[in-house]
Amino acid sequence: MVNILRPIDMMQTSTLEVEFSRLSRRRIFILSGLLAALVLSLWLDILAGPSGLSAGQIVDGLISPQSLELRHKIILWDVRLPDALIAIVVGAALGLSGIETQTVLDNPLASPFTLGVSSAAVLGASVAIVLLPTIPFVPPAFILPVLALIGALGSSCLILMVVRLSGGARETVILFGIALVFLCNAIASGFHLIADADALQQVVFWTIGNLTKAGWLEVAIVTCCFLVIFPFSLKHVWLLTLLRGGEAHARSTGINVSRLRTWVIIRASILAAFAVCFVGTIGFVGLVGPHIARLLLGEDHRMLVPGAVLCSALILSIASGLSKTLIPGVIIPVGILTAIVGVPLFLSLLVQRRRRPS
Amino acid sequence: MRLSVKNLSAFYGKKKILHDISFPDVRGGMIVGLLGPNASGKSTLMKCLSGEKKSKGDVVFDGENLHVVGGKRWSEKVATMPQTAPAPTALTPTELMWSTARALALPYSNRELSWKIERIFDDLGLSDFQLDALHTLSGGKRQLIGLALAFIREPELLLLDEPTSALDLHWRMIVLDLVKNKVQQSGSVSIAALHDLDLAARYCDLLALMENGKVIASGTPKEVLTRDNLARVYHVKTEIDLSKHGYPRVDVIGAI
Repeated sequence: MVNILRPIDMMQTSTLEVEFSRLSRRRIFILSGLLAALVLSLWLDILAGPSGLSAGQIVDGLISPQSLELRHKIILWDVRLPDALIAIVVGAALGLSGIETQTVLDNPLASPFTLGVSSAAVLGASVAIVLLPTIPFVPPAFILPVLALIGALGSSCLILMVVRLSGGARETVILFGIALVFLCNAIASGFHLIADADALQQVVFWTIGNLTKAGWLEVAIVTCCFLVIFPFSLKHVWLLTLLRGGEAHARSTGINVSRLRTWVIIRASILAAFAVCFVGTIGFVGLVGPHIARLLLGEDHRMLVPGAVLCSALILSIASGLSKTLIPGVIIPVGILTAIVGVPLFLSLLVQRRRRPS
Repeated sequence: MRLSVKNLSAFYGKKKILHDISFPDVRGGMIVGLLGPNASGKSTLMKCLSGEKKSKGDVVFDGENLHVVGGKRWSEKVATMPQTAPAPTALTPTELMWSTARALALPYSNRELSWKIERIFDDLGLSDFQLDALHTLSGGKRQLIGLALAFIREPELLLLDEPTSALDLHWRMIVLDLVKNKVQQSGSVSIAALHDLDLAARYCDLLALMENGKVIASGTPKEVLTRDNLARVYHVKTEIDLSKHGYPRVDVIGAI
């Protein structure tokens, strides 16, 4: 490379470095705030419930499970903790999946759900509930999530095939995803027509999204999937930021945008598939979580990717806590509450940003 | 440094869109202007020279052939300013410059990079906007950021696709003066697709006039900007005289 710039004094700090560092520090502060809010929300979610467990008992139970009565130990370790943690890992997975999909498809409405992942999962779940099939070596309790996962991963494979055939053209991918949503919904509706009343109620309940059926195994599976994929996302933060400058700019730098898009769609679809197969379709989180993060942190994906993960996890965690406390003695399916929690938060940020001078 | 382009052809599917493009060898420190009407193949030629689009023929720069060394090695030498300005997103110019430098693994420390970005922004009049969102900036400002993104890579071959199309007269002159200075100081080569014939005559050492994917004339501005060539390619009647600085000056009389 040739140096076509004027000589520079490397000892001094430039004004831009000072201002950019200040901006970065502010964003790290916001990320820290989100992390603190998430920890608080997790604590309140564990506290929430009708069994009368006090905060002190919960702390004792977390440190020394044997100190609790058996029923309290079961409530804390087999019900509240897995419920609270699955809210966070599913929210994190959907947020990561959402931000990456929005960026590579350059579409604010894009999410793995607009690519048909959730509809395919509903189709798989409908097959499991209505036809009650058996699968060799799969326990009956796992047939529903396994079929939902097969449906979601199947849609991911179809999307991947379209990405390859279209050379990564984003419009084609989005249109095919929407077509896939309609196709899966139509087939699932066919199963609903032949379902009896109980099965239909189960399908509706699953479709709304519910965290209460998850146990430690589900928490572990989704967490592992997230932990495997998250480092790849972090590795791509510079490329994703650069891509926000426009596809023409990214291509002009010699970056293979189609390959980047293919990799991101693969990992976002797999992550969303694992997230929804155990808890049902909680689609709104993956859409609005990244937008809230974008309003708070801007477009620098070093901050935005972890921000979207934290915002989405926080929304689902708050919704999880509210689902157990709004109506005493009743657990409202969390899918109903995510939009109710997320929309006011999103609107307040939008209004604040409008009022702020540019 | 020397750029040689011989018999370059490119296809969209089976359709040939660039036909055996050749132009005189270009020495370091020179600017080559690509002229021609819309859809004459200027942008496609730019994409071929940058390695973004596959092509056939010989493109040799500094002893290395594009089709031998491959895209990755080639992209280390070449920077392109595309016709489209950076997208109007909430990203700031500094973030875009920074992410470009880091994504391409340019070997600068944070301090060095911030100095380089600041100097480039200073040269291009962008210092007051360096932390503003791109969507708040005008098309002209974003076009200047596109140029800044090419400058940060300090390329040996600088490709500019209509670099001044969204700029007013003042900034057109500043940008082309800056490009000329950088190219001459570093001994690098620049190829610029331009629509403004007077600017091309003033700033370019060589011109290549294109029509339907072919170069129909190439050489110095005086050799290329002739009444017959312009009538053939642009279908306009012109008179050519020399400015007091010695550049050809095109006076368009009307369409033919």
